[in-house]
Amino acid sequence: MAKPQKITGLNPKHSFHENARTILPQKVEEVYTWEQFIRDPERREELHNMRISIKRLRYTMEFFAINYDKHFTDFIETIIDLQDILGDVHDNDVVLEVLTEYKENRQSAELPGVDTLIARTSEARNADYQAFLERWEQLSAAGFKQKLLTIIAS
Amino acid sequence: MSTAIEVKGIAPDKTLETCAKLIIVSYFREMMSHKEGAIDGTDIKFVHDMRVASRRLRAAMDNFADCFKKEPFKKHYKQVRTITRTMGAVRDLDVLIERFRNELQTLSEVEQGDIQGLIEHLQQEREEARKPMVNLFTELDASDFGTQFLTFFEAKA
Repeated sequence: MAKPQKITGLNPKHSFHENARTILPQKVEEVYTWEQFIRDPERREELHNMRISIKRLRYTMEFFAINYDKHFTDFIETIIDLQDILGDVHDNDVVLEVLTEYKENRQSAELPGVDTLIARTSEARNADYQAFLERWEQLSAAGFKQKLLTIIAS
Repeated sequence: MSTAIEVKGIAPDKTLETCAKLIIVSYFREMMSHKEGAIDGTDIKFVHDMRVASRRLRAAMDNFADCFKKEPFKKHYKQVRTITRTMGAVRDLDVLIERFRNELQTLSEVEQGDIQGLIEHLQQEREEARKPMVNLFTELDASDFGTQFLTFFEAKA
């Protein structure tokens, strides 16, 4: 898991709202550093790192929400939605890893249940990954990042 | 715990250092409120809730690090990170066990046999993963971590 990027430019003596405008864009940029990898479904580590960065952004938005109007909550909901879809992708990756390892450690045994779950989970993983990609592209086309940065700056 | 707790006393025009302290202290108390349930281990939601709370706390500490003296802050941050990681090992196994149990109902009798074996294997791993978690809590209590943490962050404002 990638470490969070160091936040710079804080002024502890300045207002909570002013510092929200300093911190939040940095958390948004951290999420977008992973964007270059997401069109490759095999980049499991990077997809996982993007999920973690999205989670960090979500938590940061939640405690800064008091600085913004109600519309800000809609952006948090979208972030949660992305986190959930990527969470499903990651959960499936972990399940596949566990099933494959379990099977490898029992080389001689027939494991029909494991085989069934590997097939089922692979299918679910692909569907979840496609759902994530579609959602991401949809948000990109709608200018989500710029809109988020605009509300953060308000 | 899917939503953040409400932090009393924070406001847009208050200084960051005042709000940072209030947020960190609130999130810390929230995290520790799940400790006894996590130690008990009967209901998996306590480990989940404590881990999520520890992640929220870390997110706040990551963002507000510059509001606090470097060395004591670093020590407390490392302890919270250890809590997250130690609980993560248990939580990951809880998630897997729950998922495979749900899958069991959808499989034929023959297929169920080896998934049941996998579940038992994961349950053993979970028992092993719980030991460092429970030991960590014992060590944190012995070192008075909670009091030291709160004294440091409450004294800052």
